[in-house]
Amino acid sequence: MPTAKFRGYDVHYEFYGTVSRPTIVFVNGLSMRTNHWEPFVKRLTAQNISVLLYDMLGQGASSKPVLGATFSENADAIACILDEMGIEKAYVAGISFGGVVVEEFGIRYPEKTKGLIPISTFSELDGQLRHHSHNLHMAMTQIGFEGYLNLIMPLNFTSMYLEKMADVLGMAKRITSMSLQVYGIQNLMESLADFKSITGELHKITAPTLILNAEHDYFTPRHVHEVIRRHIKNSKLMIVQHYCHAFTLEIPDISCRIITDFIDQVENDTWVGDQSVWIAEDSIDSDEIAYPCEGDHLRFIPSQPKTKSKANSKATLRKQKPSKQAPATEAPEKRKATKAKPPQSEA
Amino acid sequence: MNQLPDNIREHARQYFASRPLSSDDKTRICLFLQSVKSTNAAILSKIEFQPFEWMPYKYLHTQYYKDIEQSTLLAKATEWSFNPMLYMEATQINLSLWQAADINKFLTGAFEPNRTLYEYLALSHAFMSELRILSLLPPDFDLAERFIHCLHEIDLENGRQIQTQVRMLKDMKIDLSEEEKQQIVDDMRVVVSQAFDALLYSIVQSD
Repeated sequence: MPTAKFRGYDVHYEFYGTVSRPTIVFVNGLSMRTNHWEPFVKRLTAQNISVLLYDMLGQGASSKPVLGATFSENADAIACILDEMGIEKAYVAGISFGGVVVEEFGIRYPEKTKGLIPISTFSELDGQLRHHSHNLHMAMTQIGFEGYLNLIMPLNFTSMYLEKMADVLGMAKRITSMSLQVYGIQNLMESLADFKSITGELHKITAPTLILNAEHDYFTPRHVHEVIRRHIKNSKLMIVQHYCHAFTLEIPDISCRIITDFIDQVENDTWVGDQSVWIAEDSIDSDEIAYPCEGDHLRFIPSQPKTKSKANSKATLRKQKPSKQAPATEAPEKRKATKAKPPQSEA
Repeated sequence: MNQLPDNIREHARQYFASRPLSSDDKTRICLFLQSVKSTNAAILSKIEFQPFEWMPYKYLHTQYYKDIEQSTLLAKATEWSFNPMLYMEATQINLSLWQAADINKFLTGAFEPNRTLYEYLALSHAFMSELRILSLLPPDFDLAERFIHCLHEIDLENGRQIQTQVRMLKDMKIDLSEEEKQQIVDDMRVVVSQAFDALLYSIVQSD
Protein backbone atom coordinates (compact mmCIF):
# COMPACT_ATOMS: atom_id res chain seq x y z
CA MET A 1 0.00 0.00 0.00
CA PRO A 2 1.50 3.37 -0.97
CA THR A 3 2.15 5.69 1.93
CA ALA A 4 3.47 9.22 2.09
CA LYS A 5 5.59 10.31 5.02
CA PHE A 6 4.02 13.33 6.62
CA ARG A 7 5.58 14.79 9.78
CA GLY A 8 6.76 11.34 10.79
CA TYR A 9 3.39 9.69 10.18
CA ASP A 10 2.29 7.34 7.41
CA VAL A 11 -0.51 8.67 5.22
CA HIS A 12 -2.12 5.93 3.16
CA TYR A 13 -3.10 6.93 -0.36
CA GLU A 14 -4.26 5.31 -3.59
CA PHE A 15 -3.82 6.76 -7.05
CA TYR A 16 -5.80 5.69 -10.10
CA GLY A 17 -4.89 7.05 -13.53
CA THR A 18 -1.93 9.00 -14.79
CA VAL A 19 -0.37 12.19 -13.52
CA SER A 20 -0.71 13.87 -16.92
CA ARG A 21 -4.52 13.83 -16.71
CA PRO A 22 -6.66 16.13 -14.56
CA THR A 23 -6.55 14.71 -11.04
CA ILE A 24 -9.21 14.91 -8.38
CA VAL A 25 -8.44 14.27 -4.72
CA PHE A 26 -11.27 12.98 -2.54
CA VAL A 27 -11.23 13.86 1.14
CA ASN A 28 -13.16 11.46 3.36
CA GLY A 29 -15.91 12.37 5.76
CA LEU A 30 -15.21 11.70 9.43
CA SER A 31 -15.92 7.96 9.60
CA MET A 32 -15.08 7.12 5.99
CA ARG A 33 -12.06 5.47 4.45
CA THR A 34 -10.73 5.33 0.91
CA ASN A 35 -12.84 2.36 -0.18
CA HIS A 36 -16.01 4.44 0.18
CA TRP A 37 -14.98 6.24 -3.02
CA GLU A 38 -14.66 3.03 -5.01
CA PRO A 39 -17.75 3.74 -7.16
CA PHE A 40 -16.20 7.07 -8.12
CA VAL A 41 -12.89 5.60 -9.25
CA LYS A 42 -14.35 3.47 -12.02
CA ARG A 43 -16.64 6.18 -13.33
CA LEU A 44 -14.15 9.04 -13.25
CA THR A 45 -11.15 7.19 -14.63
CA ALA A 46 -13.39 6.11 -17.53
CA GLN A 47 -13.79 9.83 -18.21
CA ASN A 48 -10.00 10.31 -18.23
CA ILE A 49 -9.95 11.88 -14.81
CA SER A 50 -7.33 10.54 -12.41
CA VAL A 51 -8.39 9.90 -8.82
CA LEU A 52 -6.31 10.29 -5.68
CA LEU A 53 -7.77 8.88 -2.46
CA TYR A 54 -6.23 9.07 0.98
CA ASP A 55 -7.03 8.40 4.62
CA MET A 56 -6.62 11.31 6.98
CA LEU A 57 -4.47 10.83 10.07
CA GLY A 58 -6.70 8.83 12.41
CA GLN A 59 -8.60 7.08 9.59
CA GLY A 60 -8.33 3.79 7.73
CA ALA A 61 -4.80 2.68 6.96
CA SER A 62 -3.09 5.95 7.90
CA SER A 63 -1.28 6.53 11.21
CA LYS A 64 -3.48 7.29 14.17
CA PRO A 65 -1.62 9.71 16.40
CA VAL A 66 -2.75 9.12 19.99
CA LEU A 67 -2.14 12.72 20.95
CA GLY A 68 -4.19 13.99 18.02
CA ALA A 69 -3.41 16.25 15.11
CA THR A 70 -4.30 19.84 14.38
CA PHE A 71 -7.02 20.58 11.90
CA SER A 72 -4.72 22.38 9.43
CA GLU A 73 -2.55 19.26 9.18
CA ASN A 74 -5.30 17.57 7.20
CA ALA A 75 -4.87 20.07 4.36
CA ASP A 76 -1.09 19.96 4.68
CA ALA A 77 -1.18 16.18 4.22
CA ILE A 78 -2.90 16.59 0.83
CA ALA A 79 -0.18 18.99 -0.29
CA CYS A 80 2.43 16.50 0.89
CA ILE A 81 0.93 13.65 -1.17
CA LEU A 82 0.57 15.86 -4.27
CA ASP A 83 4.24 16.79 -3.97
CA GLU A 84 5.22 13.14 -3.58
CA MET A 85 3.16 12.24 -6.66
CA GLY A 86 4.58 15.13 -8.68
CA ILE A 87 1.12 16.59 -9.25
CA GLU A 88 1.33 20.36 -9.49
CA LYS A 89 -2.36 21.18 -9.35
CA ALA A 90 -5.45 19.17 -8.56
CA TYR A 91 -9.17 19.36 -8.06
CA VAL A 92 -10.04 18.68 -4.44
CA ALA A 93 -13.43 17.37 -3.38
CA GLY A 94 -14.48 16.38 0.12
CA ILE A 95 -17.61 15.64 2.06
CA SER A 96 -18.74 16.88 5.46
CA PHE A 97 -15.63 17.09 7.69
CA GLY A 98 -13.64 16.55 4.49
CA GLY A 99 -15.42 19.51 2.90
CA VAL A 100 -13.93 21.82 5.51
CA VAL A 101 -10.52 20.35 4.71
CA VAL A 102 -11.22 21.19 1.04
CA GLU A 103 -11.89 24.83 1.96
CA GLU A 104 -8.82 24.92 4.15
CA PHE A 105 -6.75 23.53 1.27
CA GLY A 106 -8.11 26.16 -1.12
CA ILE A 107 -7.19 28.91 1.33
CA ARG A 108 -3.73 27.60 2.19
CA TYR A 109 -2.66 26.19 -1.17
CA PRO A 110 -4.13 28.31 -4.00
CA GLU A 111 -1.12 27.51 -6.18
CA LYS A 112 -1.95 23.79 -6.00
CA THR A 113 -5.70 24.20 -6.52
CA LYS A 114 -7.39 23.75 -9.90
CA GLY A 115 -10.86 23.59 -8.51
CA LEU A 116 -12.74 22.80 -5.32
CA ILE A 117 -15.88 20.78 -4.60
CA PRO A 118 -16.94 21.18 -0.98
CA ILE A 119 -19.82 18.77 -0.39
CA SER A 120 -22.37 18.70 2.48
CA THR A 121 -20.16 20.91 4.58
CA PHE A 122 -19.68 24.20 6.43
CA SER A 123 -17.17 26.93 7.14
CA GLU A 124 -18.27 27.80 10.66
CA LEU A 125 -20.05 26.04 13.49
CA ASP A 126 -23.40 27.68 14.13
CA GLY A 127 -25.81 26.76 16.94
CA GLN A 128 -27.24 23.69 15.21
CA LEU A 129 -23.88 22.37 14.08
CA ARG A 130 -22.39 22.77 17.55
CA HIS A 131 -25.22 20.70 18.97
CA HIS A 132 -24.83 18.07 16.25
CA SER A 133 -21.09 17.88 16.96
CA HIS A 134 -21.75 17.56 20.67
CA ASN A 135 -24.30 14.78 20.11
CA LEU A 136 -21.96 12.84 17.85
CA HIS A 137 -19.08 13.21 20.27
CA MET A 138 -21.26 12.04 23.17
CA ALA A 139 -22.54 9.08 21.15
CA MET A 140 -19.02 8.04 20.19
CA THR A 141 -17.50 8.41 23.63
CA GLN A 142 -20.34 7.38 25.93
CA ILE A 143 -22.44 4.91 23.95
CA GLY A 144 -19.80 3.53 21.63
CA PHE A 145 -18.88 3.73 17.99
CA GLU A 146 -21.93 1.75 16.88
CA GLY A 147 -24.08 4.30 18.72
CA TYR A 148 -22.40 7.04 16.74
CA LEU A 149 -23.06 5.20 13.49
CA ASN A 150 -26.70 4.65 14.43
CA LEU A 151 -27.06 8.36 15.09
CA ILE A 152 -25.68 9.45 11.72
CA MET A 153 -27.49 6.88 9.55
CA PRO A 154 -30.84 8.72 9.33
CA LEU A 155 -28.99 12.01 8.87
CA ASN A 156 -26.93 10.57 6.05
CA PHE A 157 -29.44 8.64 3.98
CA THR A 158 -32.98 8.79 2.62
CA SER A 159 -35.69 6.54 4.01
CA MET A 160 -35.86 4.78 0.68
CA TYR A 161 -32.16 3.92 0.81
CA LEU A 162 -32.25 2.83 4.45
CA GLU A 163 -35.19 0.53 3.74
CA LYS A 164 -33.61 -0.86 0.57
CA MET A 165 -30.32 -1.49 2.35
CA ALA A 166 -31.82 -2.68 5.64
CA ASP A 167 -30.38 -6.18 5.27
CA VAL A 168 -26.80 -5.06 4.70
CA LEU A 169 -26.61 -1.92 6.84
CA GLY A 170 -26.06 -3.91 10.02
CA MET A 171 -23.08 -5.62 8.45
CA ALA A 172 -21.80 -2.33 7.01
CA LYS A 173 -21.93 -0.74 10.45
CA ARG A 174 -20.13 -3.71 11.97
CA ILE A 175 -17.36 -3.59 9.34
CA THR A 176 -16.97 0.15 9.89
CA SER A 177 -16.84 -0.28 13.68
CA MET A 178 -14.29 -3.05 13.48
CA SER A 179 -12.04 -1.40 10.91
CA LEU A 180 -11.85 2.03 12.54
CA GLN A 181 -10.18 3.10 15.76
CA VAL A 182 -12.55 5.10 17.92
CA TYR A 183 -9.80 7.27 19.35
CA GLY A 184 -8.51 8.08 15.84
CA ILE A 185 -11.91 9.32 14.72
CA GLN A 186 -12.39 11.04 18.05
CA ASN A 187 -9.10 12.90 17.61
CA LEU A 188 -10.19 14.03 14.16
CA MET A 189 -13.46 15.24 15.61
CA GLU A 190 -11.68 16.96 18.46
CA SER A 191 -9.37 18.76 16.06
CA LEU A 192 -12.50 20.82 15.37
CA ALA A 193 -12.73 21.78 19.05
CA ASP A 194 -10.22 24.53 18.43
CA PHE A 195 -11.65 25.21 15.01
CA LYS A 196 -12.18 28.88 14.40
CA SER A 197 -14.56 29.95 11.69
CA ILE A 198 -12.83 30.08 8.32
CA THR A 199 -15.68 32.05 6.76
CA GLY A 200 -13.60 35.23 6.97
CA GLU A 201 -10.88 33.57 4.91
CA LEU A 202 -13.07 32.08 2.20
CA HIS A 203 -12.57 35.17 0.03
CA LYS A 204 -8.97 33.98 -0.43
CA ILE A 205 -10.29 31.09 -2.50
CA THR A 206 -10.04 32.13 -6.11
CA ALA A 207 -10.19 28.70 -7.77
CA PRO A 208 -13.45 27.57 -9.39
CA THR A 209 -15.61 26.19 -6.59
CA LEU A 210 -18.70 24.06 -6.96
CA ILE A 211 -20.55 23.77 -3.65
CA LEU A 212 -22.84 20.75 -3.39
CA ASN A 213 -25.68 20.52 -0.90
CA ALA A 214 -28.43 17.91 -0.78
CA GLU A 215 -32.02 19.08 -0.62
CA HIS A 216 -32.76 17.19 2.60
CA ASP A 217 -29.45 17.62 4.36
CA TYR A 218 -30.63 18.19 7.94
CA PHE A 219 -27.09 17.80 9.25
CA THR A 220 -25.39 20.60 7.32
CA PRO A 221 -28.43 22.46 5.99
CA ARG A 222 -28.70 24.95 3.16
CA HIS A 223 -27.87 28.03 5.18
CA VAL A 224 -24.35 26.82 6.05
CA HIS A 225 -23.63 26.25 2.34
CA GLU A 226 -25.09 29.65 1.62
CA VAL A 227 -22.39 31.18 3.82
CA ILE A 228 -19.74 29.47 1.68
CA ARG A 229 -21.41 30.54 -1.57
CA ARG A 230 -21.64 34.16 -0.50
CA HIS A 231 -17.97 34.34 0.45
CA ILE A 232 -16.41 32.62 -2.57
CA LYS A 233 -16.81 34.79 -5.62
CA ASN A 234 -15.76 32.16 -8.15
CA SER A 235 -18.44 29.72 -7.01
CA LYS A 236 -21.73 28.08 -7.79
CA LEU A 237 -24.05 26.31 -5.39
CA MET A 238 -25.75 23.19 -6.68
CA ILE A 239 -28.63 21.60 -4.81
CA VAL A 240 -28.94 17.84 -5.19
CA GLN A 241 -32.64 17.24 -5.00
CA HIS A 242 -34.35 14.55 -2.90
CA TYR A 243 -31.24 13.34 -1.08
CA CYS A 244 -29.57 13.71 2.31
CA HIS A 245 -26.16 14.51 3.78
CA ALA A 246 -24.25 11.51 2.35
CA PHE A 247 -25.80 11.61 -1.11
CA THR A 248 -22.47 10.79 -2.76
CA LEU A 249 -22.76 7.26 -1.36
CA GLU A 250 -26.38 6.96 -2.41
CA ILE A 251 -26.11 8.35 -5.95
CA PRO A 252 -22.50 8.04 -7.08
CA ASP A 253 -23.56 8.08 -10.75
CA ILE A 254 -25.18 11.53 -10.57
CA SER A 255 -22.42 12.79 -8.29
CA CYS A 256 -19.79 11.69 -10.82
CA ARG A 257 -21.67 13.32 -13.68
CA ILE A 258 -21.74 16.60 -11.71
CA ILE A 259 -18.03 16.33 -10.98
CA THR A 260 -17.15 15.40 -14.57
CA ASP A 261 -19.12 18.33 -15.96
CA PHE A 262 -17.44 20.69 -13.50
CA ILE A 263 -13.95 19.51 -14.42
CA ASP A 264 -14.80 19.68 -18.14
CA GLN A 265 -15.96 23.27 -17.75
CA VAL A 266 -12.80 24.30 -15.92
CA GLU A 267 -10.52 22.42 -18.31
CA ASN A 268 -12.30 23.88 -21.36
CA ASP A 269 -12.37 27.35 -19.88
CA THR A 270 -16.16 27.53 -19.99
CA TRP A 271 -16.68 27.65 -16.23
CA VAL A 272 -18.51 30.72 -14.98
CA GLY A 273 -18.19 31.29 -11.25
CA ASP A 274 -20.98 33.77 -10.65
CA GLN A 275 -22.32 32.57 -7.28
CA SER A 276 -25.47 31.37 -9.01
CA VAL A 277 -27.63 28.59 -7.62
CA TRP A 278 -28.50 25.46 -9.54
CA ILE A 279 -30.53 22.30 -9.08
CA ALA A 280 -29.08 18.97 -10.16
CA GLU A 281 -31.08 16.75 -12.47
CA ASP A 282 -32.21 13.30 -11.37
CA SER A 283 -30.84 11.56 -14.42
CA ILE A 284 -27.26 11.23 -15.55
CA ASP A 285 -28.55 11.13 -19.14
CA SER A 286 -29.86 14.69 -19.00
CA ASP A 287 -28.34 16.97 -21.62
CA GLU A 288 -27.47 19.41 -18.87
CA ILE A 289 -26.86 18.00 -15.41
CA ALA A 290 -28.36 21.03 -13.69
CA TYR A 291 -30.84 23.81 -14.27
CA PRO A 292 -31.05 27.22 -12.65
CA CYS A 293 -32.85 27.47 -9.32
CA GLU A 294 -35.77 29.82 -9.40
CA GLY A 295 -37.16 31.30 -6.25
CA ASP A 296 -35.71 31.47 -2.76
CA HIS A 297 -33.19 28.65 -2.52
CA LEU A 298 -33.01 29.00 1.26
CA ARG A 299 -36.61 27.91 1.78
CA PHE A 300 -37.94 24.41 2.11
CA ILE A 301 -41.36 25.58 1.03
CA PRO A 302 -41.39 25.94 -2.74
CA SER A 303 -41.72 29.68 -3.07
CA GLN A 304 -41.86 31.93 -6.03
CA PRO A 305 -39.98 35.20 -6.43
CA LYS A 306 -41.50 37.95 -4.28
CA THR A 307 -42.88 39.85 -7.25
CA LYS A 308 -45.00 36.85 -8.23
CA SER A 309 -45.98 36.04 -4.65
CA LYS A 310 -47.48 39.46 -4.20
CA ALA A 311 -49.66 38.89 -7.21
CA ASN A 312 -50.96 35.62 -5.75
CA SER A 313 -53.85 36.71 -3.55
CA LYS A 314 -55.94 34.29 -1.45
CA ALA A 315 -58.46 34.24 -4.24
CA THR A 316 -55.76 33.06 -6.60
CA LEU A 317 -54.72 30.34 -4.20
CA ARG A 318 -58.25 29.00 -4.04
CA LYS A 319 -58.38 28.77 -7.77
CA GLN A 320 -55.21 26.77 -8.01
CA LYS A 321 -55.46 23.21 -9.25
CA PRO A 322 -53.93 20.36 -7.20
CA SER A 323 -50.18 20.13 -7.61
CA LYS A 324 -48.96 17.69 -10.23
CA GLN A 325 -45.77 17.10 -8.25
CA ALA A 326 -45.08 13.45 -7.54
CA PRO A 327 -46.05 12.26 -4.04
CA ALA A 328 -43.27 12.24 -1.47
CA THR A 329 -43.32 8.47 -1.21
CA GLU A 330 -42.49 8.01 -4.86
CA ALA A 331 -38.96 7.01 -5.74
CA PRO A 332 -36.79 10.04 -6.47
CA GLU A 333 -35.70 8.74 -9.84
CA LYS A 334 -39.32 8.65 -10.95
CA ARG A 335 -39.94 12.25 -10.08
CA LYS A 336 -39.79 14.62 -12.98
CA ALA A 337 -37.94 17.79 -12.20
CA THR A 338 -39.52 20.95 -13.47
CA LYS A 339 -37.14 23.04 -15.46
CA ALA A 340 -37.06 26.68 -14.56
CA LYS A 341 -35.75 29.48 -16.72
CA PRO A 342 -33.58 32.29 -15.42
CA PRO A 343 -30.73 31.62 -12.96
CA GLN A 344 -31.05 32.72 -9.36
CA SER A 345 -29.75 36.23 -9.03
CA GLU A 346 -26.98 36.90 -6.57
CA ALA A 347 -28.16 37.53 -3.01
CA MET B 1 8.84 -11.92 20.53
CA ASN B 2 11.21 -10.32 18.05
CA GLN B 3 11.24 -13.21 15.56
CA LEU B 4 7.63 -13.03 14.42
CA PRO B 5 6.86 -13.29 10.71
CA ASP B 6 5.70 -10.23 8.80
CA ASN B 7 2.00 -9.69 8.28
CA ILE B 8 1.08 -11.83 11.25
CA ARG B 9 -2.25 -9.99 11.50
CA GLU B 10 -3.08 -10.85 7.91
CA HIS B 11 -2.22 -14.48 8.64
CA ALA B 12 -4.49 -14.30 11.68
CA ARG B 13 -7.32 -12.86 9.59
CA GLN B 14 -7.01 -15.74 7.14
CA TYR B 15 -6.83 -18.24 9.97
CA PHE B 16 -9.96 -16.92 11.67
CA ALA B 17 -11.79 -16.75 8.34
CA SER B 18 -11.06 -20.40 7.64
CA ARG B 19 -12.60 -21.94 10.79
CA PRO B 20 -14.60 -21.17 13.90
CA LEU B 21 -12.64 -20.45 17.08
CA SER B 22 -11.55 -23.70 18.70
CA SER B 23 -11.32 -24.23 22.45
CA ASP B 24 -7.53 -23.87 22.08
CA ASP B 25 -7.97 -20.51 20.32
CA LYS B 26 -10.44 -19.30 22.91
CA THR B 27 -8.21 -20.40 25.75
CA ARG B 28 -5.18 -18.60 24.31
CA ILE B 29 -7.20 -15.42 23.74
CA CYS B 30 -8.79 -15.58 27.17
CA LEU B 31 -5.51 -16.20 29.01
CA PHE B 32 -3.93 -13.24 27.26
CA LEU B 33 -6.81 -10.82 27.79
CA GLN B 34 -7.34 -12.00 31.35
CA SER B 35 -3.70 -11.39 32.09
CA VAL B 36 -3.87 -7.89 30.63
CA LYS B 37 -7.06 -7.06 32.47
CA SER B 38 -6.01 -8.50 35.80
CA THR B 39 -2.64 -6.73 35.53
CA ASN B 40 -4.42 -3.50 34.73
CA ALA B 41 -6.86 -4.03 37.60
CA ALA B 42 -3.97 -4.69 39.98
CA ILE B 43 -2.44 -1.36 39.00
CA LEU B 44 -5.77 0.42 39.19
CA SER B 45 -6.55 -0.99 42.63
CA LYS B 46 -4.20 1.67 43.99
CA ILE B 47 -6.77 4.26 43.05
CA GLU B 48 -9.02 3.13 45.91
CA PHE B 49 -6.55 4.67 48.37
CA GLN B 50 -6.56 8.04 46.65
CA PRO B 51 -8.81 11.03 47.40
CA PHE B 52 -12.30 10.79 45.99
CA GLU B 53 -12.04 14.46 45.00
CA TRP B 54 -9.10 13.85 42.67
CA MET B 55 -10.56 14.27 39.18
CA PRO B 56 -9.23 11.03 37.64
CA TYR B 57 -10.46 8.98 40.62
CA LYS B 58 -13.99 8.38 39.38
CA TYR B 59 -12.85 7.38 35.89
CA LEU B 60 -10.03 5.09 36.94
CA HIS B 61 -12.25 3.57 39.63
CA THR B 62 -14.78 2.68 36.91
CA GLN B 63 -12.06 1.13 34.76
CA TYR B 64 -10.89 -0.95 37.70
CA TYR B 65 -14.28 -2.58 38.19
CA LYS B 66 -15.02 -2.87 34.48
CA ASP B 67 -11.79 -4.79 33.92
CA ILE B 68 -12.59 -7.21 36.73
CA GLU B 69 -16.12 -7.67 35.39
CA GLN B 70 -14.97 -8.34 31.84
CA SER B 71 -12.15 -10.61 32.91
CA THR B 72 -14.52 -12.85 34.88
CA LEU B 73 -17.18 -12.82 32.16
CA LEU B 74 -14.65 -13.82 29.53
CA ALA B 75 -13.43 -16.66 31.74
CA LYS B 76 -16.99 -17.94 32.12
CA ALA B 77 -17.58 -17.71 28.37
CA THR B 78 -14.42 -19.64 27.49
CA GLU B 79 -14.40 -23.31 26.51
CA TRP B 80 -11.14 -24.26 28.18
CA SER B 81 -8.55 -26.36 26.41
CA PHE B 82 -7.19 -29.64 27.81
CA ASN B 83 -3.76 -28.97 26.30
CA PRO B 84 -1.34 -28.23 29.20
CA MET B 85 1.40 -26.90 26.87
CA LEU B 86 -0.85 -24.15 25.74
CA TYR B 87 -1.05 -22.71 29.27
CA MET B 88 2.74 -22.67 29.48
CA GLU B 89 3.02 -20.85 26.16
CA ALA B 90 0.43 -18.32 27.31
CA THR B 91 2.40 -17.69 30.48
CA GLN B 92 5.52 -16.99 28.42
CA ILE B 93 3.70 -14.38 26.33
CA ASN B 94 2.18 -12.76 29.40
CA LEU B 95 5.50 -12.66 31.23
CA SER B 96 7.21 -11.12 28.22
CA LEU B 97 4.61 -8.36 28.16
CA TRP B 98 5.03 -7.86 31.90
CA GLN B 99 8.79 -7.44 31.46
CA ALA B 100 8.69 -5.34 28.30
CA ALA B 101 6.17 -2.91 29.79
CA ASP B 102 7.98 -2.93 33.14
CA ILE B 103 4.66 -3.49 34.91
CA ASN B 104 6.29 -3.71 38.36
CA LYS B 105 6.97 0.00 38.54
CA PHE B 106 3.28 0.80 38.15
CA LEU B 107 2.22 -1.38 41.05
CA THR B 108 3.81 0.58 43.85
CA GLY B 109 3.25 4.10 45.12
CA ALA B 110 0.27 6.37 44.65
CA PHE B 111 -0.88 7.80 41.32
CA GLU B 112 0.61 11.23 40.90
CA PRO B 113 0.75 13.47 37.86
CA ASN B 114 4.25 12.42 36.87
CA ARG B 115 6.06 10.47 34.15
CA THR B 116 5.13 7.10 35.66
CA LEU B 117 1.41 7.92 35.56
CA TYR B 118 1.80 9.15 32.00
CA GLU B 119 3.52 5.91 31.03
CA TYR B 120 0.77 3.89 32.68
CA LEU B 121 -1.92 5.87 30.84
CA ALA B 122 -0.09 5.30 27.56
CA LEU B 123 0.15 1.58 28.35
CA SER B 124 -3.53 1.26 29.20
CA HIS B 125 -4.47 3.29 26.11
CA ALA B 126 -2.53 0.76 24.06
CA PHE B 127 -4.28 -2.12 25.86
CA MET B 128 -7.65 -0.73 24.86
CA SER B 129 -6.86 0.33 21.31
CA GLU B 130 -4.33 -2.28 20.12
CA LEU B 131 -5.82 -5.48 21.49
CA ARG B 132 -8.79 -5.92 19.15
CA ILE B 133 -9.36 -9.59 18.33
CA LEU B 134 -12.76 -8.78 16.94
CA SER B 135 -11.30 -6.64 14.15
CA LEU B 136 -9.49 -9.74 12.86
CA LEU B 137 -12.57 -11.97 12.75
CA PRO B 138 -14.80 -12.22 9.66
CA PRO B 139 -17.43 -9.48 9.93
CA ASP B 140 -20.29 -11.97 9.93
CA PHE B 141 -19.24 -13.29 13.35
CA ASP B 142 -22.07 -14.71 15.42
CA LEU B 143 -22.88 -12.36 18.26
CA ALA B 144 -25.11 -14.99 19.84
CA GLU B 145 -22.04 -17.12 20.52
CA ARG B 146 -21.11 -16.29 24.12
CA PHE B 147 -17.33 -15.96 23.67
CA ILE B 148 -17.73 -13.68 20.64
CA HIS B 149 -20.39 -11.73 22.47
CA CYS B 150 -17.96 -11.21 25.31
CA LEU B 151 -15.21 -10.00 22.94
CA HIS B 152 -17.74 -7.61 21.39
CA GLU B 153 -18.65 -6.24 24.82
CA ILE B 154 -14.97 -5.73 25.62
CA ASP B 155 -14.45 -3.90 22.32
CA LEU B 156 -17.40 -1.59 22.95
CA GLU B 157 -16.43 -0.97 26.55
CA ASN B 158 -12.84 -0.22 25.57
CA GLY B 159 -14.14 2.50 23.25
CA ARG B 160 -15.96 4.08 26.15
CA GLN B 161 -13.32 3.58 28.84
CA ILE B 162 -10.47 4.85 26.71
CA GLN B 163 -11.93 8.35 27.12
CA THR B 164 -10.10 8.72 30.41
CA GLN B 165 -6.79 7.89 28.77
CA VAL B 166 -7.48 10.11 25.75
CA ARG B 167 -8.36 13.09 27.93
CA MET B 168 -5.50 12.68 30.38
CA LEU B 169 -2.83 11.92 27.77
CA LYS B 170 -3.85 14.98 25.79
CA ASP B 171 -4.76 17.44 28.52
CA MET B 172 -3.03 16.46 31.77
CA LYS B 173 -0.67 19.13 33.05
CA ILE B 174 2.58 17.26 33.44
CA ASP B 175 6.22 18.14 33.25
CA LEU B 176 6.92 16.47 29.91
CA SER B 177 7.56 17.97 26.49
CA GLU B 178 5.28 17.03 23.57
CA GLU B 179 8.14 15.01 22.10
CA GLU B 180 8.60 13.08 25.33
CA LYS B 181 4.87 12.41 25.55
CA GLN B 182 4.81 11.20 21.96
CA GLN B 183 7.81 8.95 22.56
CA ILE B 184 6.21 7.38 25.63
CA VAL B 185 2.97 6.74 23.73
CA ASP B 186 4.82 5.26 20.76
CA ASP B 187 6.98 3.02 22.96
CA MET B 188 4.00 1.60 24.81
CA ARG B 189 2.14 0.92 21.60
CA VAL B 190 5.09 -1.06 20.27
CA VAL B 191 5.31 -3.12 23.47
CA VAL B 192 1.60 -3.98 23.46
CA SER B 193 1.49 -4.51 19.72
CA GLN B 194 4.37 -6.99 19.89
CA ALA B 195 2.67 -8.94 22.67
CA PHE B 196 -0.53 -9.06 20.64
CA ASP B 197 1.39 -10.28 17.60
CA ALA B 198 2.96 -12.99 19.78
CA LEU B 199 -0.50 -14.12 20.83
CA LEU B 200 -1.68 -14.21 17.22
CA TYR B 201 1.41 -16.14 16.20
CA SER B 202 0.80 -18.71 18.91
CA ILE B 203 -2.72 -19.18 17.54
CA VAL B 204 -1.77 -19.30 13.87
CA GLN B 205 1.25 -21.59 14.27
CA SER B 206 -0.83 -24.10 16.23
CA ASP B 207 -2.66 -24.83 12.97
